[in-house]
Amino acid sequence: MAVIRTIDLTKRFKDLVAVDHLNLDIEEGEIFGLLGPNGAGKTTTVLMLSTVIKPTGGTAVVGEYDIGKSPDDVRKLIGICFQEPKLLWVSTPWDVLNWHAKVCGLSTQERKKRVKQVLEDVNMWEHRRKNVHGLSGGMRKRVEIAKILIQRPKIAFIDEPTAQIDVVGKHKIWNMIQELREEGTTIILATNELHEADILSDRVGIMHKGKLLICDTPKTLKDSILGGDLVEIRLEKEATQDAFDELKSFHEVVDVVTVKPTNLKVHLNKVEEIVPKIMELFMKRNLPVTSISMSEPSLDDVFVHYTGLTIEEAQRKSP
Amino acid sequence: MKAVLHIIEYDFRNFFRYKWWLAGLISMNLADLLIMAVVYNKIVNPDLFLGQLKSYFNFFAPGVTVLGLFASAFMIGREVNMEVRREIHHYMLSLPITRLELAVGRLLAGGLRGMMYMTPLLLITFLFLGFPSPSQLLIILGALMLLATGISGLSIAAAVSITSFEKFVTARGLIYYVLFFCSSIFYPSSLIRTLGQDGLIPQPIVVLAELNPLSSGADLIRSFLIGTPIFTLEMIRNLAIFSMIFSTTSTLAYVKIIERK
Repeated sequence: MAVIRTIDLTKRFKDLVAVDHLNLDIEEGEIFGLLGPNGAGKTTTVLMLSTVIKPTGGTAVVGEYDIGKSPDDVRKLIGICFQEPKLLWVSTPWDVLNWHAKVCGLSTQERKKRVKQVLEDVNMWEHRRKNVHGLSGGMRKRVEIAKILIQRPKIAFIDEPTAQIDVVGKHKIWNMIQELREEGTTIILATNELHEADILSDRVGIMHKGKLLICDTPKTLKDSILGGDLVEIRLEKEATQDAFDELKSFHEVVDVVTVKPTNLKVHLNKVEEIVPKIMELFMKRNLPVTSISMSEPSLDDVFVHYTGLTIEEAQRKSP
Repeated sequence: MKAVLHIIEYDFRNFFRYKWWLAGLISMNLADLLIMAVVYNKIVNPDLFLGQLKSYFNFFAPGVTVLGLFASAFMIGREVNMEVRREIHHYMLSLPITRLELAVGRLLAGGLRGMMYMTPLLLITFLFLGFPSPSQLLIILGALMLLATGISGLSIAAAVSITSFEKFVTARGLIYYVLFFCSSIFYPSSLIRTLGQDGLIPQPIVVLAELNPLSSGADLIRSFLIGTPIFTLEMIRNLAIFSMIFSTTSTLAYVKIIERK
């Protein structure tokens, strides 16, 4: 069941179309990765869905409420972790989170317990009384994420959760996002980190220049690249022409490159299904395989495939 | 109602976090009261306008109280403007509260902060000039709350309409000086009127001083503490109109303009 449905959702800032007729369904309980370079329209989409800014065209239904007609009801369902931490510099992490929990309706007892727990989880307990002004960028980001972990909303918008966070911290936050989903929160993860989108998302929507280019599971997206999988095979003996022809006859195989007579590179689809057949072929023809390695395309390859640009190139060209 | 209280709590907490700003404001108001009033007391010709007043200090103390109220209630605009510039207002707009609750909460917070800041100044004034009767005290506090809410509204409306910090600071300075000096804070209304009739002050300034809510606030305190000018309902009416106009303007501006930024 779709918990969010956008219908031709559009946002125009003067001459710039930040989001262009976005049509999207997000299922209840999933982590939906909204992937794209800076300036693709991800944050604008998040701000419209959370009723912070108004669309200039189209609409969206969040939960069962239209964002234009019932914004107050929408806001009761959602929580946002902003890309740039929205904190007054004179505040302290404790004040920010305690007040946030209060506004979100947590009881005094529950609030104190949860604020302490989350501050410890994001390694900010000992810094809880410091002014935001004195915190590093990564610490501020952790306070921003903590808001949503305390709130545990029905629908969470998380914008660039691990920007400015170190590698260890990233893994911790990814685990927390997954735990949040396990507790029943639907998560919309806006990110330009392909690896992050890949490991966290059930489905990914790729945005570029305000448009949604494609939307599916990471696996389907990777499989959609014709010949995107790569298998490298090393043989004890030279491959015969018959074996070579039979290999090429598999409909999953797109191309076979002979690096050496005993070393083949095979570009194909659905690597996990075809590898057993390849092994069988060489064994049947008495051509022992000494080694075989496989690699799947990444979401980087998917992004390049659909935009013609790497995400870094797209970022440089963004308005 | 609960949401409005949460917003008031948010703004009160932030108010006390700007320690140096507050220290500067307190120093300025105390200097006004304890240095300026005392110095002026020595240099002002008592025959010119003091009449039944014993000293310029007695005249000026209610004015400084209103100045303190103005400066502290106006401070909410500075914070709202900073939030808009740093896009912290996106966070406020994403909270599970209605736009009206948010706007009313900020308006009242600004006003209540002004009242809280002004209380010690008002007490000092009472100490030197004598305490009003309980009913007079209620009228003074009610009228000053109207004034504080109006000032808070005025500053919020300015803060969301002018995003640039430089322009906001300029506008704030302009509002400060126009309202401070075209008022009866430093000089009695009767003197301003006389000087206007004699052609020594341009007529628009005389009108502005008469309508200025700061004049009404200061004169209302004076009327109960020193007996001049005579208390009139017009003073409360002026404050109510000012408060109503800027409360409505700020609420509409906050809700409508801030969503576009």
